[in-house]
Amino acid sequence: MATDPADVLIVGAGASGAVVAKRLAEAGFSVVCLEQGEWHAKEDYPGTRLDWELQARKAWATSPNIRELPQDYPVVADDSPVEPLMFNAVGGSTIIFAGAWPRALPSDFRVRSLDGIADDWPLTYHELLPYFYRTDRDFGVSGLPGDPAYPPDSEDAPLPPLPIGAAGMKVARAHTRLGWHWWPEFNSILSAPYDGRRPCVQRSTCQSGCNEGAKASTDQTHWPKAMALGTRLVTGARVRRIETNEAGLATGATWIDREGGEHFEPARVVVLAGNAIGTPRLLLLSASSRFPDGLANSSGLVGKRLMMHPFANVAGLFEDPLLSWQGQFGDLIESLEFYETDEKRGFVRGARWGLAPTGGPINTALPSRAGEQIWGPDHHLHVKTHLGHGANWGLFAEDLPDEANHITLSKTVTDSSGVPAPEVHYSMADNARRMLDFHIERATESLQEAGAYKIEVDRLMRYSGWHLLGTTRMGDDPATSVLDRWNRAHDVPNLYVVDGSCFVTSTGVNPTSTIVAIALRATDHMIESRFNQQVPA
Amino acid sequence: MTTDTTSDDPLAALDGTARATLAAIADHLIPAAHGMPSAADIVTDGRLRFVLGARPDLAEGLVAALRPGLGVDVASRLATLQRDEPANLGALQLAIVAGYYTDKRVRELIGYPGQEAIEVKSWLLPEYIEEGLIDKVLERGAVWRDPATGDRAVVEGLPQTYAERFAGMPDDSQGGHDGPDGA
Ligand SMILES: Cc1cc2nc3c(=O)[nH]c(=O)nc-3n(C[C@H](O)[C@H](O)[C@H](O)COP(=O)(O)OP(=O)(O)OC[C@H]3O[C@@H](n4cnc5c(N)ncnc54)[C@H](O)[C@@H]3O)c2cc1C
Ligand code: SF4
Repeated sequence: MATDPADVLIVGAGASGAVVAKRLAEAGFSVVCLEQGEWHAKEDYPGTRLDWELQARKAWATSPNIRELPQDYPVVADDSPVEPLMFNAVGGSTIIFAGAWPRALPSDFRVRSLDGIADDWPLTYHELLPYFYRTDRDFGVSGLPGDPAYPPDSEDAPLPPLPIGAAGMKVARAHTRLGWHWWPEFNSILSAPYDGRRPCVQRSTCQSGCNEGAKASTDQTHWPKAMALGTRLVTGARVRRIETNEAGLATGATWIDREGGEHFEPARVVVLAGNAIGTPRLLLLSASSRFPDGLANSSGLVGKRLMMHPFANVAGLFEDPLLSWQGQFGDLIESLEFYETDEKRGFVRGARWGLAPTGGPINTALPSRAGEQIWGPDHHLHVKTHLGHGANWGLFAEDLPDEANHITLSKTVTDSSGVPAPEVHYSMADNARRMLDFHIERATESLQEAGAYKIEVDRLMRYSGWHLLGTTRMGDDPATSVLDRWNRAHDVPNLYVVDGSCFVTSTGVNPTSTIVAIALRATDHMIESRFNQQVPA
Repeated sequence: MTTDTTSDDPLAALDGTARATLAAIADHLIPAAHGMPSAADIVTDGRLRFVLGARPDLAEGLVAALRPGLGVDVASRLATLQRDEPANLGALQLAIVAGYYTDKRVRELIGYPGQEAIEVKSWLLPEYIEEGLIDKVLERGAVWRDPATGDRAVVEGLPQTYAERFAGMPDDSQGGHDGPDGA
């Protein structure tokens, strides 16, 4: 393969890797990206087909352990109540993500100062704000400006909001009566034609790929542009280690192709964008005599402080038909009424609520995730009362960092290339448990006020590890952080991590909008400091 | 419905006994009631072929869940599967449920047309704005906590109504929100 080192080698073509590639290519850098997954055509997604719900439970499942595709790697999660979820492809997890696009809030960056727990970030909300505006434009965000849950903006979302549906209207009216915050959700889903892409048609199959290309996945929004500027994207390329030289600088990556052949891709700078499971896995796999505990791990924090947002679903059933199998699966509306700390509640920090559609008939008819099964004559009543009659509040609880929540390399399980799989060790903290209990009660009140005659609660759902964060945290002190404030490894001056691994705390919001804003900020800094960048001889 | 079974036929793995057992279980789980047909009548060869064609990985669990060794009583078979072989039970339930709910008549009866393409009319003023619901949220003021004070933010001069927030903004509500590269 290549012999001339690229200016920058990126591992992972998901959300953050794509942002870095496009920006660097615009600035004239030579960029190569190694991605273990493949391209997917919009036509391949099952959302328009009769077998959609069948495929969503296997080839298009959100867990790599269920899909078991050769490009996936298993994630051993026996020691965790929550399964990490992801997708491995050009576009990464954005191929199947829901598209909800809230930003982290100002208080999220100051948890230690405000709440005396966890840590502050080495950056602030206002430092990130210009990057939020730019990434909103690049991804194509729809939303109603003016949400008073955030500081006033100087730039509005590029597109008007998506519909909130009959369920959203009921809950919005209820929150008006309760005096509680609600707002139409910001989604990286197009409400009108934009940037050569078609608008959303409300099919609600976002989590098995968007057939319209309306949802921002980076195979649509970023990679074609980066490649038109000369970026080389190699698919089916599984990176097994980052190599280093005697000076302790990264020299490139060793990777394995689909047939098992091994290659070396040299580079001046290496950027990891494999998500908060894939990236620490790779750093641990890259141990050497110079870095015996894994690359960039002098702090001992690589793989530690994993956060996944403990999640509960509170479903309300309504007499009226709500057509709730339709609508963007990013959210319809959100509430941040109980997001900020109120110590009287018996816990610190809070949770974001997102109101989502409820799925099709097969999902409705099968036993619920909570194990409820309705068979026999009443099965029909169950389906008739549930299908299209529900409104689901999804509650994303802030997960505080804890070194006991960590990943290691499996001694027995490997991926299809024979590379050790990551093992997740995770438990939910008492603070998060109390937080979920409180929020479940409030969300129940919300839906009851909206007219729900029955509430069904799914506490701490197992298949809810959508948000992978914290496993190579950033900070100013190399003893207590892996990355500096510009996402550069303290220990390896030409190695960067730009995915959600860099998060210091988890925030209580869906993270991708914040992940990509941070990735863009890191890239701008990389470009500005290019002449001071140490590179291998 | 065709009953032809060639070697490529996903139904080849199920013999007559297995099919009869499947029908009995289908009728037990989803019987005719409340104006709906029994799954035994709906999940015939055609539907099962569709399900196993889409999900060949289900066949193994299905065959195991239907094996004669589990006895003739449907309820005790299901209880055994639930206790000892949840994955095989899952395959069995999914095959029946998917066969049933992908049937045209069943979908008509439950009023489910499938996931449809519905145009988003983003140029229309949303009902919640017309109804004044956004004004109520704006009236209550800032919700975020200001790190500078630790308290709920106080922002002077925030718009109190939607009309105020959008006064003076260019009217781009006629569609055509094309981005930088055009659509
Ligand atoms: C079902 C689902 C729904 C979600 N919904 C939302 C939502 O509504 N809103 C939101 O904000 N977030 C959501 N998320 C989370 C969101 O998808 C992620 O936050 C985001 O994609 C993370 O971006 P990333 O760049 O860190 O990693 P990813 O997008 O996961 O990309 C990582 C890429 O790296 C590749 N890679 C990893 N290791 C290697 C290796 N060794 N060699 C080669 N390639 C490698 C992988 O194949 C993958 O393509 C959702 C996630 C899922 C799974
Ligand atoms: S609801 Fe919209 S974004 Fe989601 S899959 Fe359908 S068209 Fe795409």
